[in-house]
Amino acid sequence: MLKLDNLTADVGEGDGRKTILNGLSLEVPAGEVHAIMGPNGAGKSTLSYVLTGREGYEATSGTATLNGEDLLEMEPDERAAAGIFLSFQYPVEIPGVPVMTFVRAAINAQRKTRGEEEISAPDFIKKAREIGQKLNIDAEMLKRPVNVGFSGGEKKRLEIFQMMMMEPRFAILDETDSGLDIDALKTVADGVNALRSEDRGMLVITHYQRLLDHIQPDRVHVLAKGRIVKSGGPELALQLEKEGYDGILGEVA
Amino acid sequence: MTTTALKNPSEAERQLAELFSRHTPEAAQKAAFEAFARTGLPHRRMEQWKWTDVRQAVSELAPVKAEADTSIELPSNAVKLSFDGSGWTIPDELPAGINIFLKSGGHDFAQADALPVGALAASMTGYSSKDMLMIEVSAKVDRPLVLAYQGGGDAAFSRVVFVVRENCHVDIFEHYSGGAGFSSFLTEFGLAEGASVKRTLLQEASQQEVTAITTTAHLDTKAVFTQSALSFGGKLCRIETHLEHKGEGAEATLNGAYLAASGYHTDFTTHVTHGAESCVTSQLTKGAVADGGRGVFQGKFLVPRTVGQFTDAEMQHQALLLENGAEIFAKPELEIYADDVECEHGNTSGQLDEDALFYMQQRGIPKPEARALLTEAFIAEALEEAHDDVRAQLVDATRRFLRNQRGG
Repeated sequence: MLKLDNLTADVGEGDGRKTILNGLSLEVPAGEVHAIMGPNGAGKSTLSYVLTGREGYEATSGTATLNGEDLLEMEPDERAAAGIFLSFQYPVEIPGVPVMTFVRAAINAQRKTRGEEEISAPDFIKKAREIGQKLNIDAEMLKRPVNVGFSGGEKKRLEIFQMMMMEPRFAILDETDSGLDIDALKTVADGVNALRSEDRGMLVITHYQRLLDHIQPDRVHVLAKGRIVKSGGPELALQLEKEGYDGILGEVA
Repeated sequence: MTTTALKNPSEAERQLAELFSRHTPEAAQKAAFEAFARTGLPHRRMEQWKWTDVRQAVSELAPVKAEADTSIELPSNAVKLSFDGSGWTIPDELPAGINIFLKSGGHDFAQADALPVGALAASMTGYSSKDMLMIEVSAKVDRPLVLAYQGGGDAAFSRVVFVVRENCHVDIFEHYSGGAGFSSFLTEFGLAEGASVKRTLLQEASQQEVTAITTTAHLDTKAVFTQSALSFGGKLCRIETHLEHKGEGAEATLNGAYLAASGYHTDFTTHVTHGAESCVTSQLTKGAVADGGRGVFQGKFLVPRTVGQFTDAEMQHQALLLENGAEIFAKPELEIYADDVECEHGNTSGQLDEDALFYMQQRGIPKPEARALLTEAFIAEALEEAHDDVRAQLVDATRRFLRNQRGG
């Protein structure tokens, strides 16, 4: 499914340009959920932006493919249509564009790029209502402009709402647990778990173990200085929690 | 002879004087032309016109080929008055509460000195439009009144006066579709106590046309005037509104949206006088300008001592430069002499939020579409008060404009 091979990427422009990803290799097979953990500045968010094609985050060598398709050659919207979804660490406000309008425009844009029919209005509304109920998002919230005036927790729930509406082939969750209280964390995790399936992969980027109590990963990778320094099963997350990054990183070094 | 009052007339001014001399003006028209002749066509050395130089833009009066206009579907109960550049077509049957009078000369245009292009329109009534239109509203009229302006050849002038009686109401939609090389339209509103007007205006013109739409409004006690205008500009377009609160507790909303493509110029200028206590003015102007386009906003609130007490007024102008090479000029002004007032203004111009654009792209929306969607939402906010029957169509017109821009 997602395959990163020796990926190197720079961030910034001119003199401020820095190499953040430094020979990162990683494979997430279909049907699996992998977690990426690492200290601040390890390159976790950079990885999510490089994979989604944000301007200013440029892969300089190596490859990134989704089911064999070269992601790095595609525009951000083409990557979305190919099935990449990013749940943002800091979801952005879209003033004046109601959630329902936005999500429908996005779904239809993806479908158009893939050469598929648009989603019908009744189908869309029905689906939005069902998913909204699961995530405790009321109809009123879906009429408001995207993220405008939303609390931190509402924003994160809306990210998961969008993910469930779009049913991406591969989801990247960047610090989705930050800003969530225990109940919201459970709601969000339930949403993510509901999407686990044989043909979908996920990459869960997080600082802490607590999200992984709710979303059990198949593999855990430790990212430091722009590459994966250690990989293991779910027990690695627990070890990190106990020993801290210093312990693990010291062991590696 | 009034024509001699024009100093060193340009070719266009000479032609205007010639047009004026051909008809038999009444005293009010002569006075209006004299007022116009004192300045001639406004030009950049006049403070209020420094960004909108009419004299330079109208080098001579010449016809233009009318371009297809945006077709707006009107509600079936609309009462449509059409102006073809030379005269009005008025339906035989009018709803109860609407009376229309045709006057050959009209009354003195009191603000002629402050509004030279409006004065020109007042002086020319009788040349092209034959008659000044006076529309009396004496009921709460539930059918919208539509004034459609299109055509005129080399020049078109009109003057329309609305007299809205106590506690009466009318919805007005004005559609200016262009079709004259130079046009000046003057509309005057007098709102009696408790009267209300909801005015929606759409202006379009070809790149060869110079258009001035001048409005004056007087609001008596507790009168409510709501204006929403969408302008696509022309070679030069000036939409100027002078409003005066004359009775306690009057309320005005003056919203505007402009979209200027390459080679187009549009100008929203407003002047609001709080001449009575406890009046409210709310003004939101939004614009989006492409490479080679130009947008102008000049807004002024004047709050005199004593009579202007307890004024509540807010002025916002926000503009988007869609591309490098777009030009936006803005001058918001507050002139306040009263001491117990709430007045604020804000003025920003910039570009679309890159974070928002990336967020939208990440969800699958191609960048040009994301830009259009964001810009449309931005502009639409200034059209929220437009009449229900046309608001969605104005937003559609905005969307079509944005889809046609290069963007990306």
